[in-house]
Amino acid sequence: MTARFRLRQAWVIARLELARVFLSRRSLWIYGLALLPSVLFLVHSIDVRYRLGKARQGGSVPPAAIEAIETGMSEQQVLALAGKPGEDQQRTVRRWSRREEKGREISESREVLSRRMIYFDGRRRAVLWFEDGVLRSKNVYEILNFTEDREVYAGVFQYFYLRLAIFFGCLGIFLNLFRGEMMDKTLHFWLLVPARREVLLAGKFLAGWTAAATVFTGGAMLAFAAMLWPHVGAGAEAYWQGPGAMHALRYAVAAAMGCAGYGSLFLAASLWIRNPIIPAAVLLLWEASSGFLPELLQKFSVLYYLQSLCPAPAPMEQDVPALLRLILAPAAPLSPWLAIAGLAGFCLLVLWAAAAGVRRIEINYSTD
Amino acid sequence: MSAQEIVFENVSKFYGDVLGVNRIDLRIPPGLTSIVGPNGAGKSTLMNLMCGLIHPDRGEIRVLGISPREPERLMRITGYATQFDAAPRWATGFDFVASSLLLFGYSASLAERLAWRALEQVGLTEAARRKVISYSKGMRQRVRLAQALAHDPQVLVLDEPLNGLDPVVRAETIALFRQLAAEGRHVLISSHVLQEVDAISDRVVLMANGMIVAEGDIRGVREEIHEHPSQFLIRCAQPSRLAALLFERGPVAEVRLLEEDGALLALTRDRRAFTRTLTLLAAEGLPVETIVPADENVHALYEYLIGGSA
Repeated sequence: MTARFRLRQAWVIARLELARVFLSRRSLWIYGLALLPSVLFLVHSIDVRYRLGKARQGGSVPPAAIEAIETGMSEQQVLALAGKPGEDQQRTVRRWSRREEKGREISESREVLSRRMIYFDGRRRAVLWFEDGVLRSKNVYEILNFTEDREVYAGVFQYFYLRLAIFFGCLGIFLNLFRGEMMDKTLHFWLLVPARREVLLAGKFLAGWTAAATVFTGGAMLAFAAMLWPHVGAGAEAYWQGPGAMHALRYAVAAAMGCAGYGSLFLAASLWIRNPIIPAAVLLLWEASSGFLPELLQKFSVLYYLQSLCPAPAPMEQDVPALLRLILAPAAPLSPWLAIAGLAGFCLLVLWAAAAGVRRIEINYSTD
Repeated sequence: MSAQEIVFENVSKFYGDVLGVNRIDLRIPPGLTSIVGPNGAGKSTLMNLMCGLIHPDRGEIRVLGISPREPERLMRITGYATQFDAAPRWATGFDFVASSLLLFGYSASLAERLAWRALEQVGLTEAARRKVISYSKGMRQRVRLAQALAHDPQVLVLDEPLNGLDPVVRAETIALFRQLAAEGRHVLISSHVLQEVDAISDRVVLMANGMIVAEGDIRGVREEIHEHPSQFLIRCAQPSRLAALLFERGPVAEVRLLEEDGALLALTRDRRAFTRTLTLLAAEGLPVETIVPADENVHALYEYLIGGSA
């Protein structure tokens, strides 16, 4: 048999297995995991677009006018500076206060005229709060904050997508490739074809990886598109012309390589260990604690390579405890090419170990 | 080791502490061989070992000179229909057979042609486009057989292949097995139903508790069992006279006149002398109609060898 014939066999196995992986009832929750960020970003985008539309209905003012408004100004001064607000609400409120007089605490109230004006400059919203005609507070925020949205995406991608969604998704897909078929009592179909066990392993890995990468890379790209959607016409084009396309590509590659890395590990584990929960828990712990490990050992963590592939570091709040910060902080990243090569080498090493496992696999439906 | 035989040499297999098969020495020539034994005797284990689905703890197996650890070579010449369905939920009978053929490296058109031929052989062409999950037990049995047959293997291994088949299909399937065996192939079937094996096998392998208790053609095995006299059922118009003459001249241990008219059962420890005497009696004009060995069947052998029925 030639290498070409074996490659063709692996491809046929992958093709046949793909339908099983994609249509398996056991895989349905994986689609949910993969699509969750897209749904969240889509809901956020719809909300932003709705609020933008509503803000635009009231007209907009120059950004400089909003900058010029300061607390302590009167209503007339603000109106003179910025013109008619997009939203304007007035009401009278009763305000209670206490004071001490001759050792006694006296409580008294008075009516205050409260007014809220909202201006919009096409991107930001300024909420002004007046009492008795004087500006008491000015709250300016961006309805559309591209930088913040990109940071949120980076956070969701690294903390949720890589660490949880792809991790558990691959657990579901790759453990089922052999162990699921053992449970369904269908594995003998593959062991009775004229193919080396290593070819079967390659075919099944290819099927699992194709399915996982399609689902998770697709999910990541959908979420990226949903994140960009409200920014169309407000900076997204410039971003896309600049680093945006490369960022999207790096996220896609990170998702696909994550599927390869975790997939190979779970596939090998399914061939060597009977209970999948144990290797999953150990791997999750290993990945989570990789920040503590010496640099050499960190290279045996899938996350190390994936973080190197991400275009932006995951955002971290300033008030994150030092210990957690240490865990979450990535080690010195590799260049993307080195990360891809390193992860590919890591996968090959794991698959080599899996090949030894697949050679000794036996059909024993009665005890599995 | 012979490249024309399936050879087991001192093969043992344990599932943890549970015995699968123990110290199996067996050579299976071409033809139709039945592996017979009660549930748990080790029949499926033997077949799984042969096809590489499990590996022996001890000993060596060769299928026409090929080790079961070389599936790439072995499964080209071997078709194995197990007791378990392997068809995916979405697959039709045709898809199931044709897709497995693609793994042999056949082109799609050749795989289709071979799949149709195999489905025709098992009489499943009409239902070929239906999903396997909608098949009856007998149809599933047949589609598994079609899959095992489709690549025209030299060795056909069939685990309980007649289970669930209706009488007509059963007869057709047995005829197919015989035809395949007559073409010089190895056809191995396992069964726990002794009667059906009797009717179709060239040779039998009797198993119990993971060991082979006897093997060979049924008569040969029977002749080796000296402690039980051979039984013959004889039909004759004068059964009482025949019984008396047999006692007088023949080496019979016992003769029983049966309730059925003209039938008697004779037990002898010397088959040759017995048949010689019967031939002489018939030549002298005694109206002997038929002589049938009454215990040259697997059921009787099992009774004698193991002491219980399968």
